[in-house]
Amino acid sequence: MGLIECKEVCKSFGEKVALDHVSIDIPEGRIFGLLGPNGAGKTTLIRIINRITIPNSGEVLFKGVPITQRDVEKIGYMPEERGLYRKMKVGEQAMYLAQLKGMSARDARTGLKEWFVRFGIQDWWDKKVEELSKGMAQKLQFITTVVHKPSLLILDEPFSGFDPVNADIIRKEILRLRDEGATIVLSTHNMESVEELCDEIALINKSRLVITGGVEHIRREYGNNNVELVYTDADGRHTEVLPREVDGNSTLEAYIAKGVTINSYKELMPRMNDIFIKLVTGEDAK
Amino acid sequence: MNLKTIGIIIRREYLNKVKKKSFLITTFLVPILVAGLTIGGMAVMMTTKEKTKTIAVVDRSGIVLPYLEDTETIKYVDCSGQEADSIKLRLSNLGYDGLLSIPALDTVAKTVNPDLFSTKPLGMDLTSNINNRLDKAVEDYRIASYDIEGLDEIMKAVKSDVKLHSYTVDESGKEKISEAGVYSIISMVLGIIIFMFVTMFGSMVMSAVIEEKQSRVVEVLVSSVKSTELMFGKIIGIALVALTQFLLWILLSGVIIGVAGGIMKDKLIEQADPAELAQSLGVSPDQLDTVDFTQLAGTDNDMAMALDMFHSIPIGKIIIIFLVFFLFGYLLYASLFAAIGSAVENAEDTQQLQIPLTVPLMLGYIIALYAFKAPDSSIAFWASMFPFTSPIVMIARLPFGVPGWEIAVSLGLLILTFVVCAWASAKIYKVGILMFGKKSSWKDLWKWLKQN
Repeated sequence: MGLIECKEVCKSFGEKVALDHVSIDIPEGRIFGLLGPNGAGKTTLIRIINRITIPNSGEVLFKGVPITQRDVEKIGYMPEERGLYRKMKVGEQAMYLAQLKGMSARDARTGLKEWFVRFGIQDWWDKKVEELSKGMAQKLQFITTVVHKPSLLILDEPFSGFDPVNADIIRKEILRLRDEGATIVLSTHNMESVEELCDEIALINKSRLVITGGVEHIRREYGNNNVELVYTDADGRHTEVLPREVDGNSTLEAYIAKGVTINSYKELMPRMNDIFIKLVTGEDAK
Repeated sequence: MNLKTIGIIIRREYLNKVKKKSFLITTFLVPILVAGLTIGGMAVMMTTKEKTKTIAVVDRSGIVLPYLEDTETIKYVDCSGQEADSIKLRLSNLGYDGLLSIPALDTVAKTVNPDLFSTKPLGMDLTSNINNRLDKAVEDYRIASYDIEGLDEIMKAVKSDVKLHSYTVDESGKEKISEAGVYSIISMVLGIIIFMFVTMFGSMVMSAVIEEKQSRVVEVLVSSVKSTELMFGKIIGIALVALTQFLLWILLSGVIIGVAGGIMKDKLIEQADPAELAQSLGVSPDQLDTVDFTQLAGTDNDMAMALDMFHSIPIGKIIIIFLVFFLFGYLLYASLFAAIGSAVENAEDTQQLQIPLTVPLMLGYIIALYAFKAPDSSIAFWASMFPFTSPIVMIARLPFGVPGWEIAVSLGLLILTFVVCAWASAKIYKVGILMFGKKSSWKDLWKWLKQN
């Protein structure tokens, strides 16, 4: 049983169908990638989990029971279209958002100070938000999303707006939060970070769920998996890509018999990027 | 609805607005301005006495001169022997402020064609004074020309001198002095205040909604609280801002007028001749300091009547009804303004969407200005029942006395309309705040309303 289970969720806006019987299971304590091209229905699904939007049919279970408004306090959401009150002071703003998530003023202050110290931004407290650079504002936004220790963290394109150094800081924080037990839903177009961070994914295309499951499993299952053989003979070093279907042992024996030195023999995992394109367009990326 | 969350939203909205410079400026500047204008005007009226003007008169008709009596501010000098043109050119050299030149009598039309020349404009009082005297001279000349015996006496007897005293009578038969003028002023002021407040704070709600949408903080907010909580938190927070401002205005105006009044009183004593003042108050000069100057008002008959009239107006009742109508009028318009704000991404796009709201507001304002002339006319009556104009018009009618059932019906309709509009606005708002990238029209708003 996952922390969040979506069961046959449907949502349409007028004529337009945004989600068509989507069922996904987000396991507890994992990083779950929510993938799909623009307009596929990811944001709608996230908003339904957040109770911003109410589905036409189907249901969302939180720890096995239908989700309620109170459970929203246990969710931290950083939307793709995010922002802060520009004229408000950093500290006041963070306190406000934390209190809206049900924290007491005292807990909010302690929690925020901790995070401010962790990110080395203690002296921002009395600055106005409009004085912050985009990257600084993103850091503050991340803090306001996680300060109430949510058991579910939904991050929509969390790395956009960050330079590589800060993106790495956020990446490490996400992993740390996962290790501390939080469940994280990551919606992103950055397939490298999916490969690196996600344990499981769901791919939505044209309002429907295309595939869901473990990243390793999907990478093996989909795409034209090949093996790569590197060997050295009298002419020097060679790399050969062979179809996986061939029997590894006999291939190697054949090469060894030729008197070459085997350097490496490994399975080539398809990149998530290629799987994404293949599943969405129905064509091979290469 | 979660009251705790709404409380947090109200608090932020309220503090955020109250701490703004623009709020502080309007709150403190407006009463100072109003008080300044009032006191300044009074001070000017009390202290400035028109300098005496000397007018040279060349009367060729021979009928006007006897009517030109000197007053405190005008002195007439008979220069009939001289040439008008030569005086005209040397007015200031001769020490005259003006020249009244009256050519020979027009015996056919039985009138004169006078001209008044001056180097500087002479002011309304003076010209109307001269005009009155000329009229009188010509009138008398015409009467005399009929050659009817005793006509002078007849005309004097005919001349009417009626002063209308108006009273309102309540059921016990008690008479109260009533004066339409005082009611009109109160009615107009109340109408303007309620129009101003509803417009000002209604659009403040709208800009607050737009701000959240524009800065994209709104999606973060609605992931924590329900959109209805957010909307009503905002509306209530700004209502409290309005009440705070209103209260501060009343307090500050009172303080300023009190303080300034005190200063003026001292000034008056300084300037006045103690002996004369003491005589007029019936005390000896050394007792002056002990005189309570508020009693002075009582000695002045007009002032006493005005005060009496104010007492005859049920101020407490008016304030309560004013607050109730203001509150629901504001709530009605603020919820609609919130719905409009949710549909746009920047303030410039609101122009067109706002029209259905600003038109009834303006209409209410115009009818309210009319209502103080004819508080019981049918247009004023119906406008004070129609919920989109009733807050303004009913308040404007109030000082003239409105039957209780009319107030009850009007208020009932207003509250009912508010409930319906707030429900619809909340639905529109919910969809609107998450709509980006497209300019919305009333058609879209209608679609959103039906959508969920």
